[in-house]
Amino acid sequence: MLRVENLVKSFAGTPHRKVLDGVSLHLSAGEYVAVMGESGSGKSTLLNLIAGLDIPQRGSIRLDGQELTQLDDASRTRLRRTRMGFVFQAFHLLPHLSVASNVALPLALNGVNRDRTAERVEEMLDAVGMLERQHDASSRLSGGEMQRVAIARALAHRPRLVLADEPTGNLDADSAAEVLALLQRQLKHDNAAGILVTHSEVAAATTDRIYRLTRDGLGPRDASP
Amino acid sequence: MIAPLLFDAAVIGPLRHSPGRTVLAVLAIALGVALGLAIHLINRTAADEISLAARSAYGVADLAVESIASGFDENLYPMIARLPGVAAVSPEVEFEAKLVGRRGALKLRGVDAFRFRAMQPQFAALAGPMSHDSYAPTAADAIYLSASAARELALNVGDTLMVQVGLQSHPLHVGGVLPQAAMEDRAGVLDIGTAQWKFGRLGQLSRLNLRLAQGTSEKRVREMLAAMLPATVRVTTPGEATDEALRLSRAYRSNLTALALVALFTGGFFVYSTQSLAMLRRRREFAILHAIGVTRGEQLWLSLCGAALSGLCGAALGIAMGVGIASFGLQAIGADLGAGYVSGPSSLDLRLPEVAAFAILGLLVAIVGALRPALDASNIPTASALKAGDVAGDDIRPRGALALGLVGLAAMVLAVPPIDGLPLPGYAAIALLLLAAIVAMPSLVRCLLRYAPRLPGVTGQLAMAQIWGAARYATLSIAAIIVSFSLMVSMAIMVTSFRQSLDSWTQKLLPADVYVRAGYVGQTSYLDEHSARQIAQLPGVERVEFNRFAQIQLSSQFAPATLIARTLDPPSAERALWLVGSVADLDHKPAGASGGAAAALQPVPVWINEVAADLFALRPGDALELPLAGHQVAVSVHGIWRDYEHQNGAIVMNRDAYVRLTGDLAVNTVWIWMKEGASVPALQEAIRGVLPAGAEFDFRTPGDLRRMSLAAFDRTFAVTYLLELVAVFIGLFGIAAGISSQTLARRAEFGALRHLGLTRAQVGTMLAIEGTVLGAMGVAVGLLTGAIISLILIYVVNRQSFHWSMDLFVPAGWLAALSGALIAAAALVAVVSGRQAMSGDAVRAVKEDW
Repeated sequence: MLRVENLVKSFAGTPHRKVLDGVSLHLSAGEYVAVMGESGSGKSTLLNLIAGLDIPQRGSIRLDGQELTQLDDASRTRLRRTRMGFVFQAFHLLPHLSVASNVALPLALNGVNRDRTAERVEEMLDAVGMLERQHDASSRLSGGEMQRVAIARALAHRPRLVLADEPTGNLDADSAAEVLALLQRQLKHDNAAGILVTHSEVAAATTDRIYRLTRDGLGPRDASP
Repeated sequence: MIAPLLFDAAVIGPLRHSPGRTVLAVLAIALGVALGLAIHLINRTAADEISLAARSAYGVADLAVESIASGFDENLYPMIARLPGVAAVSPEVEFEAKLVGRRGALKLRGVDAFRFRAMQPQFAALAGPMSHDSYAPTAADAIYLSASAARELALNVGDTLMVQVGLQSHPLHVGGVLPQAAMEDRAGVLDIGTAQWKFGRLGQLSRLNLRLAQGTSEKRVREMLAAMLPATVRVTTPGEATDEALRLSRAYRSNLTALALVALFTGGFFVYSTQSLAMLRRRREFAILHAIGVTRGEQLWLSLCGAALSGLCGAALGIAMGVGIASFGLQAIGADLGAGYVSGPSSLDLRLPEVAAFAILGLLVAIVGALRPALDASNIPTASALKAGDVAGDDIRPRGALALGLVGLAAMVLAVPPIDGLPLPGYAAIALLLLAAIVAMPSLVRCLLRYAPRLPGVTGQLAMAQIWGAARYATLSIAAIIVSFSLMVSMAIMVTSFRQSLDSWTQKLLPADVYVRAGYVGQTSYLDEHSARQIAQLPGVERVEFNRFAQIQLSSQFAPATLIARTLDPPSAERALWLVGSVADLDHKPAGASGGAAAALQPVPVWINEVAADLFALRPGDALELPLAGHQVAVSVHGIWRDYEHQNGAIVMNRDAYVRLTGDLAVNTVWIWMKEGASVPALQEAIRGVLPAGAEFDFRTPGDLRRMSLAAFDRTFAVTYLLELVAVFIGLFGIAAGISSQTLARRAEFGALRHLGLTRAQVGTMLAIEGTVLGAMGVAVGLLTGAIISLILIYVVNRQSFHWSMDLFVPAGWLAALSGALIAAAALVAVVSGRQAMSGDAVRAVKEDW
């Protein structure tokens, strides 16, 4: 489903900084992997490239056979809208919207009608245990609650791929465990593929496979020095 | 298609979330639209009234033969009536009658009622009742008043109106009031014979209105007329005359409109400033939307929708306010806002296309103001904006070269002559300079900060570091002040310069102790020479000078200029007039410049005002011919004098020469120098004693005239003062919005500083320093830009609009006080916002507003 081949990404600066050099990753539907690595190793950069938020200098990213690097920003954005979901470390719920409206937003963007949207929002909020808070303002939730809503939002439109960037970085241990279990359960339920970028061994352990990103590239954790 | 939910998330939500900022942006647009619409409506009403008044003089005439001096020989009437192609001719004599017991004069039109009907169908409708009325227009002493004249003079049928001819009073009986459509201007109609006889115009006519036979070539008739008419008579059409009447007030109306558009521009810039700050604050929201699938095009569209919504609300509010202001202005001040082009209150006639145009203008200003911030927002680098702890970078780009280019372009535009008599290049240069100041802001901020003195103490250093680090916020905050403050500074300098110059001018031009005036240009009242001489011989009078005013047409393209015949010693004219150019400056003196016996045969020396010099392209040493007493008189321009009174041009001639050329011994004004210790009230009584009983005259001291001039000036510039206030208001909005939004977004920083051991007072001091430095930078650049703009207003725009020169006066005290107030306001806003942001539990309760 996702084929990342020989990605090269550098950032301008003095000196010129090469963050990713020949990174490859293959992912099948329903497969959930973790990417670990030291700070500055390029984990978030890899995630941003896969999401189409940035473009590599070289290499290929194919999602369901479609080459992302050949698309313009608007086409990549539409692809992200329909086939990807995002979970951020800082939650990034829209502060002006209620809990339900935040979850409904990807469905609205994909043109889902009002009845089906309401049905799906209820289903997702029920699944993440936030149905009772659906009318609350998102700014009034705790960190753990915000991340549960963010997971519901990321999965509401049944994306093929969910990208999670340090989703438990701002949470306490109990909330983190709860959120990770929820994310894993929902991905499996929807047969969606997922990439979890994390520093946490505990978080990584909830995935099917663990990769480590180093200067030499991306490889299974066991292969790392 | 943008989903309603997304619209709510990206458009309505932010507006609702920041009601203070939203309301201020809406108000800024509303103020601009309101002032623009109000001034347009008032201007248009004035133009309509001027146009209708001009047209009503001609009715349905195809052509008009008019005097360009005081009148023409009535023997022309039968000659013209017999011309082939002329179907009907209506003769008229027209003049201003001084009203007894009332201020001002009334235009009187002496007509042949039977001929007049052919030109005025509305008047013809009255023919039935008129013929049976004891006060028919053919009856002596009967006057028919236009509806507006009857209303303003509070006269009804049967009432008596007293008018003054020379120093004698004459009664006119109101025989009827004409319907509004029959005569639009403030005037009265009476029998032509009565008018000629009672008002000393026997054998004279002012105008012949002509109807041409069907199929007649207007061009052919004009050619025949041109061949037979003397130089002091011209041929015109109602359309040409209307255009000419409108041209008189066009510069004034155009300048007001430009000022109103400036208010709208300032409102638009406020939108730009607030939107830019909002976009910077909401960059993460935009990044989230982009991450979850909202394209950059859709983001741009959403941002513009938000601006359009503010613009629509502002336009709707502005239209309501504008209509209210216009209605009030028309009722309270009149259609010309006190400038003297039309008289009396007017009613508002609202037209849908105009209202729609201003609504669209408000909408466009809001959208254009938000365009750049919206483009920036839609191009936010998503990945970096989503990082925890990300803040807007200091990504300002210095554009010094572009700013210099704009200044150069402004200088080039200034060299372009006025377009169709309007100072449009001057206004374009002002707009370019404002743009240059805004574009130059990043470079200026960098430069000012680089050379700013190092402040002592940790709070001072933290404050300067914050301004340097958040230079983009600083630039936007300052830019709002610069635009509004520079406009305010420029208007303050221009108005002060004008007012001071007017004050100096009145003092220079009013050297006598007392002024006695009976009538003015074209009016029926005057002092005969005998009465004037009697005044000169009164006890307490040391010496006198006599003035006589007359109308004189120098060009068919312009309204008649004023001829002022006054006691004047040509070699020392500079003592009586404020000369700005003279033949004394020339290497070769023109004919007539020297005295002696030969001077009698030489051109008569005259001194023209600046308006006449500009309108008729005359310079010292130029020769021209004046139509005086039915013949052309050769004169020579000996000097140009500064004059703020006669807007259609004025020519001063020695009274002895005028009397010799015209035989007119009448006097309009007597200037009186009093003996030491003489009493002004006693002199006034003595003058009343030598003049006929009931004769009306104005008796003024220089102090009275100075007060009246300055009061008229303040009335005329009332709108400018209002616009200045609006500019200050918007400037304060801008600085408050900029600084408070920045401060409220820095809660985390304040928390960190408190953890590091800074007291609340120290944080407050730091914010006060930031506010003071930002305010001072804005004020400094605003003062500089405003000063340059004021020079353009004084030396280009005013000169091209009104042909007036003035000296530069800077209201230093006022500007210093205002600068101090703005800087203090900036510091205060910063401190108050900081206190809100640091107020413990209240932090969560207080929304990031403004």
